[in-house]
Parts: sequence; C-alpha cells; structure tokens
Amino acid sequence: MDGAGSVQKMSGSVVGAQRLGKTFGDGSVVALEDATFDIRPGSFVSLVGPSGCGKSTMLRLIAGLIGKSSGELMVHGKSVEGPRTDVGMMFQKATLLDWRTAIENVLLPTEVSRTVTKADRKHAADLLRMVGLKDFLFAYPSQLSGGMQQRVALARLLQTGVDLLLLDEPFGALDEFTRERLNVELMRIVTELKSTTLFVTHNIAEAIFLADQVFVMTPRPGRIAQIVEVPFDRPRPLSIQTSPEFNALVAEVRDILGEDH
Amino acid sequence: MAIAESTLQKGSGGISVRQRKMLTHAAIFLILVGLWEIGSRTGWLDPLFYPRPTNILRSFWLIYIANGNIWFHLYATMVLVFAGWLAGSILGVGLGALVGFNPLVRRFLKPYVIVLEATPRIAVAPLLIALLGFGAPSKIAIIMLVCFFAPFINTLSGVVNVNEDRLELFRSLGASKMQVLRKLVLPDAIPVIMAGERLALTAALSGALVAEFIQRDEGIGSLILIYTRNLNMASAFACIFTLTIVGFLIFRGMERLDLWIAYWKSETGMKRVGARRARQMKGDI
Ligand SMILES: Nc1ncnc2c1ncn2[C@@H]1O[C@H](COP(=O)(O)OP(=O)(O)O)[C@@H](O)[C@H]1O
Ligand SMILES: [Mg+2]
Repeated sequence: MDGAGSVQKMSGSVVGAQRLGKTFGDGSVVALEDATFDIRPGSFVSLVGPSGCGKSTMLRLIAGLIGKSSGELMVHGKSVEGPRTDVGMMFQKATLLDWRTAIENVLLPTEVSRTVTKADRKHAADLLRMVGLKDFLFAYPSQLSGGMQQRVALARLLQTGVDLLLLDEPFGALDEFTRERLNVELMRIVTELKSTTLFVTHNIAEAIFLADQVFVMTPRPGRIAQIVEVPFDRPRPLSIQTSPEFNALVAEVRDILGEDH
Repeated sequence: MAIAESTLQKGSGGISVRQRKMLTHAAIFLILVGLWEIGSRTGWLDPLFYPRPTNILRSFWLIYIANGNIWFHLYATMVLVFAGWLAGSILGVGLGALVGFNPLVRRFLKPYVIVLEATPRIAVAPLLIALLGFGAPSKIAIIMLVCFFAPFINTLSGVVNVNEDRLELFRSLGASKMQVLRKLVLPDAIPVIMAGERLALTAALSGALVAEFIQRDEGIGSLILIYTRNLNMASAFACIFTLTIVGFLIFRGMERLDLWIAYWKSETGMKRVGARRARQMKGDI
C-alpha cells in the first residue's frame, strides 16, 4: 500500500492491481510482471496474447488460487489472501461431475456454501433455460455435446451469484460455429446481469468483439503490453466485425503483439 | 430393428437368428453330454472319476430333494462368503481410503503393500487357524485375507487419482476437505471400487472353499471332500456344478449392483436416475 490515494482509487474498481508480479520455481520463471490496471464494475475485459504470456496466471491470482510474488492485488476492495468465493471461474474444460444431472451440477456451488432451498432449484433451472438448455435439465454430462457441457458450466458459474466472472478460454475447445454462438449469448447474459467479466482468449477478433477493454499481453516475461479501449456499446451484433473501426482495432492489437501473431 | 427381425423370421421358417443360435448351442451341449454318457457306460471313460451324466442328475435329485442335505451346507457356504466378503470389503475400502488420503502413510506403507501383493495370501491360512482356532472366525479371517486386496488397491487408486481440474473447481468454490471427500472423491471412485468388489466376491467364494477344505466341518467345500473320499463322484460333481451356478449368479448379481450404484455409466441407469431427479424437483422448478 503506498498511501491513501491508491486505496481511494482502487475502491471504485472491482479488481485493482499495482505492479503485480508472479514468479514460479526459484523465481526464474516470470509468469507475470509489473501488471497495473483497474477493472470497472460491470465492464468486460479480454486478455489476449500468445500462450505462456501469463493470462491464466493472472486469473488464478485474482481468484486467489495462487499467491502473488510481488505488488498489490485488491478484489472488491480487499487484498487477495487465499481462495475466495466472491469470484467465479470457468475453464476450457467444462469440469462437470458425471454422476450429477445438469441441474445438480449447477446447484453444486450453492450446495457447497449452504443448504439448497426450493428457490435455489428454481434459480438453477432458470439459468439452464437462460443458456438454452431448457430440455436438458435432467440430462447427464455424458449425454450432452461439448458446447452444451460448457453451457452447463456457465450456468453453474452464474449460480454462484458472484459479480466477478473469470473465464479462461471457456469456448476454446469448441468448433468455430458453436463458439461464435456461445460468445453472442455470453455477451447478452453478462450485459444483462451487469457482471464484471475477465475473458481469456488468443483470438484477437473474439477478444475485441466481446470486450470494453482488451489487455494485450506479451510473453517472456508475461506482461500487459497495452490496454486497448473498445468504443462500441454492448450487446453488439456479429456484423460489427466487418466494420472498418473494428478492423482498425484488430490491426492495432496485432501490431502490439508483433510479427509472430 | 423389429422390422428386420420379423423379415428374418419369415425367411427361415418361423425361427429367428437368435433362436437358431440357441438351438445350435443346445444341440452341441446335448451331443457332448451324450458322448460322456456313452463313454462312461462303455468304460471308455473311467466311470469312477467320470460318473455318468444321468448319475449326476440323480445325485442332484438326491442331495436337493430326496435327502435335501445340500441346503444346510449351501447356506453355510453362502453365509460365509458374504460375511467374509463384507468384512474384507470394509477392511479394504477403509484401509484404501485411509492410505489414499495420507501421502505420508502411503509412502511408508508402499513396501509392505508390494510384499503383501507378492505373497500368495492363502498360504497364511494355516497360521490364521492356529491363531484363531477352528470355527467361523478363522474361516472369515481367511476369506478377508484373500478378498480384501482388490477393494484396497482400487479404492486407493480411485482416491489418489482425482482429476486435478475438478479439485481446482472445488477449491475455487471454497469447499471443505469433507465436502471434497463426499461430493467429489468418493463418487468419482465408486466405479473403480465396484470393479474391485466384483473381483473380491469371486475371490471370497474360492477362499470359503479353501477354508472349508481345511476345516471339514460344514459347507459345500467339506461336502465335496466327503463325497470324493467316499468315491461318490456323481454327488461331488453335483456340488461342483452347484458352485458353477452360484458363481454365475454372483457374477450376474454384481453386474446388476454395479449398474445400480454406478448408474451414470449406462444409458438405462442415467434414464432411471434422471427421471427420478425430475420427479423429485418437479414442484420446485
Ligand atoms: N504452476 C506453475 N509452475 C511453473 N511454471 C508455471 C506454472 N504455471 C504457469 N507457469 C509458467 O508461467 C508462464 C505463464 O503461464 P500461463 O499463465 O499459464 O500462460 P497462458 O495462460 O497465457 O498461456 C508460462 O511460462 C508457464 O510455463
Ligand atoms: Mg492458459
């Protein structure tokens, strides 16, 4: 903490980081270096960059799954000290439990924190309907396609009721059509719920299409090279990707990432 | 499917492919039994060691109905098998879970597990009798010894090989150790534990027979021993075939139990439990 000024500044943001760093091993692997940023409530931030640039590390730090090596990290105005339940994560793998139906999987976060009520079950069912699975409430994961499994995982994430969502390449393993459709739905849902969202991807167009701000990251050492503002309102149509403004942003990000991207 | 079958039925004069297969099997079986019967009648097979099938049938009638003396022994064996299996399972699963959850215990126990795995455990049976005396306790101890290993190893590996991503999910939800155990580790390990239990039950049947061979007081094992000693091979065969049927029923029963417990491994299981969940939550959603 370097004075009252920074506390003041960070209290208005959901996530605030100053010179945040993370090293692994004996300190020789610098996964993230010198990251300073503020994330506004309700905003959508994309983290884009080649693999190994520290995107996952950043999310895991914010979720409190790993400890920082240097700098400051505040979430909801409090320093991150360990795993926290006011943050929700979603990964490339749906990580559903095979022995639970879709709705039971969605109810897992609630079950872990307290006794499940009638209202919780109703909420879980509504979330599954919201992600387009109204006919699959009682289906088991092995009966669902990859895209549908990710929808269940998204509903489970929303069931936690947290307003900070950390998504680590959530649709990265899906085919392009499914991914595009899920991106559009994700944008509709998080905009409606006003969730603050961090979304990791290595697809530049996807990063820009979804976000208010794009953190462009570069590897060795992992750092945020630049933060690019996206001026379009959300939700926005897929067709925006053909506009000259959009393509100018793609070119800008590509430029920051350098030759190899 | 139904259409295809009915077409086939017409094609082969009212007999389906399945029925034809069954008939072929039955025919081959009858021919084999017939050859055996002729063989022992003509003296080509020594009738002392290869009693005529008709004599075996008569023995079945004798031991099951006329004398009815097998029931007592069959009951004794079955009680022994299930008691030993249950005891061995509890020991195996409990020890497996205990070792699985303690990396330290696991490290120090490993050499002993390897030694135990390499030793034919039935060799310890006489020692157990010396220790516990004749009777049910030593018999059950023998069965425990032969059948606890598969549940032990399978539980251990099931508990140790928990998916890292799922563990991280539970951690990120702030789950307690107990919750991780109950909601993740145990359900995840159930199919592999059940596979161990299947092996254990088969081993328990063999273990019970060995225990009865040694103690010779009651059970199918001692009955086989008595009949062979009196050169009543037909009745000994009837006992052996009884065990064949018992073994088959045990196998089938475990298959059923497996489908019932690890319901998410089969379409029918998922349909059944999924429908039940839908009924249970119907009013809430
Ligand atoms: N648990 C760990 N132990 C050692 N090195 C790690 C660990 N996690 C990540 N790293 C290293 O940190 C760097 C950043 O990794 P990561 O955040 O996973 O990148 P990204 O998600 O952008 O692909 C990589 O060089 C990776 O090898
Ligand atoms: Mg990653």
